[in-house]
Amino acid sequence: MIVFLAKDKLPALLSELNEMLEVVAPVRIGNDTAFATWVGQPIDFEKNPQISPTEFLLPQREVLFKYIQHSGRYVFEEVEPKSKLILGMRPCDLNAVKVLDKIFGTEPFDKLYFRRRRSAILAVLNCSKPEETCFCSHLGAGPECIDGFDLLFTELDSGYLIESGSSVGMLILKEHSDLFQEVKSVYLAEKNERISKAKETLNSRPNLSKDKIMGALETADWESMGNNCLSCGGCTFVCPICHCFNILDLGVPDGERLRCRDSCILSGFSRMAGGVNPRKSAGERIRNWYFDKFQFIPENTGLLGCVGCGRCISVCLASMDRWSLKVPR
Amino acid sequence: MSDYIPMQAEIIDIDIESSNTYLISLKILEDIDFCYRPGQFVMVSVFGLGECPISITSSPTRKTLQLCVRRAGRITNGIMDCLVGDIIGIRGPCGNGFPLEIMKKNIIIAGGGSGFATLRSLVNYIVDQRSKFGNVAVAYGARTRRDLYFMQEYKGWQQAGVDVGITVDIGDESWKGDIGLVTSLIDKFKLPQGSAAICGPPIMINAVATKLMDRGFDHSDIFVSLERHMKCGVGKCEHCMIGPYHACKDGPVFSYDKVKKLL
Repeated sequence: MIVFLAKDKLPALLSELNEMLEVVAPVRIGNDTAFATWVGQPIDFEKNPQISPTEFLLPQREVLFKYIQHSGRYVFEEVEPKSKLILGMRPCDLNAVKVLDKIFGTEPFDKLYFRRRRSAILAVLNCSKPEETCFCSHLGAGPECIDGFDLLFTELDSGYLIESGSSVGMLILKEHSDLFQEVKSVYLAEKNERISKAKETLNSRPNLSKDKIMGALETADWESMGNNCLSCGGCTFVCPICHCFNILDLGVPDGERLRCRDSCILSGFSRMAGGVNPRKSAGERIRNWYFDKFQFIPENTGLLGCVGCGRCISVCLASMDRWSLKVPR
Repeated sequence: MSDYIPMQAEIIDIDIESSNTYLISLKILEDIDFCYRPGQFVMVSVFGLGECPISITSSPTRKTLQLCVRRAGRITNGIMDCLVGDIIGIRGPCGNGFPLEIMKKNIIIAGGGSGFATLRSLVNYIVDQRSKFGNVAVAYGARTRRDLYFMQEYKGWQQAGVDVGITVDIGDESWKGDIGLVTSLIDKFKLPQGSAAICGPPIMINAVATKLMDRGFDHSDIFVSLERHMKCGVGKCEHCMIGPYHACKDGPVFSYDKVKKLL
């Protein structure tokens, strides 16, 4: 099913959806754009936010369970996540969700992740405005979304084309049919034009295919990369696929066991209680990060661990040339 | 129930193995049949402090679940500060354990330092089913005599027909046994080719494995139990990555040919 929504009707659609679900959308906060719970703020589809919407599937901090001491023993309580509609997720991030689904779906199945994942409706936005650091088309992760979405938005001059990709998506389109208009063939032509324009922009950039990156990994000088790296972990916190986490307790005698995002770039990540650290130097840690994305995740899941969203490039404090792996001197 | 919710277990006994190591016996308070294999581990929770991986020290052939805990950090301190009757959390068993179905009948077990705790499970498993195994030898090295674990059990193992060699790095006048590295003990055993189970610091694992390969052991018959920082215990959190493997899910026991280059 495919419909057309005029630009001025978007808030109306969202507030109708907001009655049933929590709507998450890219909204303007100060001079920046970020994914946040929508409560009427203006939507901003211009920029791809620095923190990816996978944040709402694997939050920075989530409660695994609460423990309550009760006559010498403990009672555990779980917290049920709310249903969400994530609007404006770009194809790169949708591909990242596919990788996370595989990682958390392999035995043993991570129930907590899938409780969030199952209750999330993904309304993807075809990418017509790639950021300066993007290279998704070289890794086959964008700019056009083919499958895996519930709803697919394409921004046009006067409104949005909305396609359904699942039964949930179809139901939403049918339920709110009074807001939509019929699709004219000029709209479809405009969609194709916008996407091919985005593809052109991306393809004109230096080729960063998997083979090229793998070749660079083989010959990289990890030690000088490590000397250059500030070990801030920024690249891992913005990466939509990075999913390392820590488990910690808060509160005595009653409290919460939390799952918090962690970063393999931080020096204490692999340090054991006795003080032995298998990945002591920053170089070893960066090497592990790259090999995880381009070798280990593909070996374990069959999908590439990088979607070319370019966030790690734009966030890097040391301005490392992350993909040619050359260190500025 | 979420996989991250632990079972509750009551501490029913605490033995002091060395100045900083206790052997803790547990009774699981949940109505389940807790089955495990030698070489597996559990995630132990002290509520309010967190969770850490501790290898199972008892053999599945015996009734009581035992964990050997050494004071090393925040959570192990918390476990050791517990008293008999206190409740802790147990999640698991995690990991693969020693692949007894593919291991040969003749087995050499080599442990260094606190790494010997996980091997005690295997030794007692073999002792309890002695007829299923051939020649079995145990080589164990610790820093000093005071750091040796399970001293009261060596005699029983020898009586069951297991060769036992013990060595310390630093001897004193009270120590009448061997002084030196675990590798020197291996020369003493007249063990025919078979499988090996090793746990200890990487440098010791490499030395022992090299020595065994010189004696004709195949590198795929040498099984090493590796130690890594772990958080989730189910292969998701990436703390314990060793190359493409997760030590908590694909390990902690690996055949030496898989991890030789990664140690």
